[in-house]
Amino acid sequence: MKEELFISGRDIPNIDPFLHIWHWQIPIYLYLGGLAAGILFFAGIFTIMGKEKDMKTTVKWAPFLVPGALIIGLLMLFLDLKHQLFFWQLYTTIRLQSPMSWGAWVLMFITPLSLIWVATYLKEVFPQWSWKFHFLEKMELLAVKNRKGMAWVMITLAVILGIYTGILLSAFNARPLWNNSILGPLFLVSGLSTGAAVIMWMTKSHYERKMMSRIDLVLIIVELFFITHMIMGMLAGSSVQIAAADLFLGGQFTVSFWVFVIILGLVFPAVLEILELAGYKIPVAIPAILILFGGLVFRFIMVEAGQITRYLY
Amino acid sequence: MSEKAKKDYSKTYLNPYFGGVLLGIILILTFYITGRGLGASGAAKSTVVTTIQSVAPKYAEKSHYVSQFISDDNHPMNNWLVFEVIGVFAGAFLSGILYGRLKPKVEHSPRITSRKRLIVALIGGMLFGFGSQIARGCTSGAALSGMAVMSLGGFITMMGIFGSAYLFSWTFKKLWI
Repeated sequence: MKEELFISGRDIPNIDPFLHIWHWQIPIYLYLGGLAAGILFFAGIFTIMGKEKDMKTTVKWAPFLVPGALIIGLLMLFLDLKHQLFFWQLYTTIRLQSPMSWGAWVLMFITPLSLIWVATYLKEVFPQWSWKFHFLEKMELLAVKNRKGMAWVMITLAVILGIYTGILLSAFNARPLWNNSILGPLFLVSGLSTGAAVIMWMTKSHYERKMMSRIDLVLIIVELFFITHMIMGMLAGSSVQIAAADLFLGGQFTVSFWVFVIILGLVFPAVLEILELAGYKIPVAIPAILILFGGLVFRFIMVEAGQITRYLY
Repeated sequence: MSEKAKKDYSKTYLNPYFGGVLLGIILILTFYITGRGLGASGAAKSTVVTTIQSVAPKYAEKSHYVSQFISDDNHPMNNWLVFEVIGVFAGAFLSGILYGRLKPKVEHSPRITSRKRLIVALIGGMLFGFGSQIARGCTSGAALSGMAVMSLGGFITMMGIFGSAYLFSWTFKKLWI
């Protein structure tokens, strides 16, 4: 009988050598979180600027998608949990040094806030709508009066949510691809860009589309800059970080990253938006779908690729 | 709004001879950058293989034709031609925008209906797809790229495609002009 005996201190299933604990639900959750943050951010900004009349879709209609996106996203997060019945324990503590704690609490506040925001505009969608109870009508009046205040809170929470979707990954100091400080801003910008794309796609107003298209263009340029910055930063790092960057520069994720994220998800829609601003007629759905798809692929790649990068080889 | 966007360019086409030269340059660049030639039917084949593999994996394994494109270490869609065709779509889309041709329409002879044109095009496409698999390539993959590297097969394919087109044009030209 031929027998082989392996003795290793590194036999940790699903953690070493490769992390294998985050599945398809996580990138979808990060994507929907970023998208929701983006839409709420713009709704808040244009409310504070007093542009509710010019930017109706941004302020009133697009936020209707947000509670749904957040709830589906949270459901995804819940599905991925190993001990699902213990999720409530996140709310028994506040840990400022833990991104997960930040995320849990920010979602605890932003989800109801987005519902209240949508509720204040419900009567504009359904004029027949009635809240049935007197105290609900009163609360609505109160919320409508304080929209600007809500907008400030919403912007703050949206920025935290957007950054959190990135630092949830970057807090993993054992995964060189994730462990860089640009990931938070990068995910925020990407979330804002997908949010802008949704608004651009939904709106029927020429003014609003042009405004969001311009904003989106700037965001795409910033995002490209951040990605360049991230890769250059890794290449200037230690050999494990260089190995992480190599996943995108000839390694396993090169084609999917460059084709679907950079070219089709950022550069091509940017070219289309420039052409549109130059006066050419372009069906707005095309750049919007490309940006949304690129953002989704980006999160899938980052979650997948990050899990296979490591310090010990 | 720029001048170009205002003027109607939707009926202005590139000189076909100049287009041919451009295509040749693209072919050289393709060889230089990717180390492979151009192709079109290969992308369709990859799509068909992937579809069969996901719908009926057992059949795909058994089938002599389909199984040769399936391997464990490479997904059939991970093929340069698939990405090339994505690029062709993007490029065509850009060209449509720039020349104001971006609207859905069926181009056909005034003597036939759109419906007839679509049916005939589908039959023609199926025959061509079938033929290209027997010949191991289509006009771009076998004839154009083959001739560019002086492959005898390329010349034979080109003569086969254009020769048969001459032969059958008398019978089928009413479907086009």
